[in-house]
Amino acid sequence: MGLGTADDAGVYQISEDLALIQTVDFFTPIVDDPFDFGRIAVANALSDVYAMGGIPKTAMNLVAYPMQKLGKDVLRAVLAGGIEKLKEAETVLIGGHSIEDDEFKYGLSVTGFVHPKQIYTNKGLHPGDCLILTKPLGTGIINTAIKGGLASSETIVKVTELMVELNKTTSGVLGSFPVTACTDVTGFGLLGHLAEMVVDTDISVTIESGTVPVLPEALEFAAMGFVPAGAHNNRSFRQDMVNLAADVSPIMRDVLFDPQTSGGLLIGCPEKYTFELKNRLIAEGVENTAIIGKVTDIGKEMIYVV
Amino acid sequence: MSKMLDARGLACPAPVLMTKEAVEKDNLNVVEVIVDNEAASENVSRFLGSQHFSVTTAQEGEDFKISARRQGDRPETIREPEISPQAATDRKQKIMVMIATDRLGFGDDELGKKLIISFIKTLKEMGDELWRLVLVNNGVKLTVDGSPVLEDLVAYAKEGLTILVCGTCLTHFGLLEAKKVGETTNMLDIVTAMQLADKVINI
Repeated sequence: MGLGTADDAGVYQISEDLALIQTVDFFTPIVDDPFDFGRIAVANALSDVYAMGGIPKTAMNLVAYPMQKLGKDVLRAVLAGGIEKLKEAETVLIGGHSIEDDEFKYGLSVTGFVHPKQIYTNKGLHPGDCLILTKPLGTGIINTAIKGGLASSETIVKVTELMVELNKTTSGVLGSFPVTACTDVTGFGLLGHLAEMVVDTDISVTIESGTVPVLPEALEFAAMGFVPAGAHNNRSFRQDMVNLAADVSPIMRDVLFDPQTSGGLLIGCPEKYTFELKNRLIAEGVENTAIIGKVTDIGKEMIYVV
Repeated sequence: MSKMLDARGLACPAPVLMTKEAVEKDNLNVVEVIVDNEAASENVSRFLGSQHFSVTTAQEGEDFKISARRQGDRPETIREPEISPQAATDRKQKIMVMIATDRLGFGDDELGKKLIISFIKTLKEMGDELWRLVLVNNGVKLTVDGSPVLEDLVAYAKEGLTILVCGTCLTHFGLLEAKKVGETTNMLDIVTAMQLADKVINI
């Protein structure tokens, strides 16, 4: 996987039937509760491995921490939250590194296993494929509202539960379907990651905005102006590739470009398997899964949002 | 109350939070916010819109200026005329007449001066629908000592017509002290009156 295709992680083939996936991800706190922050950081870091069809095996903590300012207990809670999620993922924490820093950052480097012939990349969509998204959008907008002190405690709990949800189950289900491409929706937003899937190809995609799962609170806060700068950056970077129908509201547009933390997987799959895949995911508990669009050969390198 | 906020150099959501705090704490009806990026401009406009402000945005060099007025708010210097219950049921249109000259029409100035006298005197035929009389540029000269229509304007004002006189224009002509009728006003009030009027007649 070269840098050129902007894949989620690095892959190193060891033998005919084994390759390593390596990835690293860290960020500053996005929720107030330290335990939750730990859980979110792990779900987010593991997601790259799941998106490529791998199984995370080992992880190492990365910590930059203002010990004087925050004290030991906060860090302990963050790491405990992380360990809980790593256990759920059956991934072993084998070490880590910490430094003193004015601004708290936490994340992990993760190593996973994958069969070299069963790696999902973000390239490989074919005309006739359908697109599936497994988590609702809007975490970036809601996190912005949380920073502004506007989100209710119910909303914070709801968005936290969404962000700590591993893409493990989804990745497991994908193994028995002929997936053509897969990526996790994170910082570039849905349309930004879709743009990576179609750039330098001969295909286009059509997204039915009405079918895209969205957190209702995100629409509410976007209408109040709590759209993170990242969503605007994502839009200005990719707007030439995106054709929005006139009736798609600016609020929905911002949600589609909203940077996600520990977002869902965006999966391409031939149309005839799509419903079965969606139903299996929902049956396994990935309840927000929705079919959101289709791959076409009408034009190329374009995203049509209708 | 109005306020000007400088949110330049701030990243989202800080400009929105700054606006929100100012609007809520000071119960602002009119607010201007300056930001230095498009994202902040969209967010602040959207926030003010969601709080029932009417919003306009203008780009000024690298910066964006967002001007907002709470909907339903009236500038303090403009008062609604008293509406009798009778008038309220029988809705009348609000006509604003803006006069920017002390003579009517082009051509013969002597004729023009006679015509403006006749015009001002005849305006009363509009009845209750005449809602605002706004005087700008040379029009402000009609409000000073020696104006041939001063008595008529004073009579209109007594009957309750709001006469707005451009302060910048009075200052320009050195007539600020000489004005004898109407309220000295500014461009924001004039523009707001235009927006609220059902019909604007320019002379």
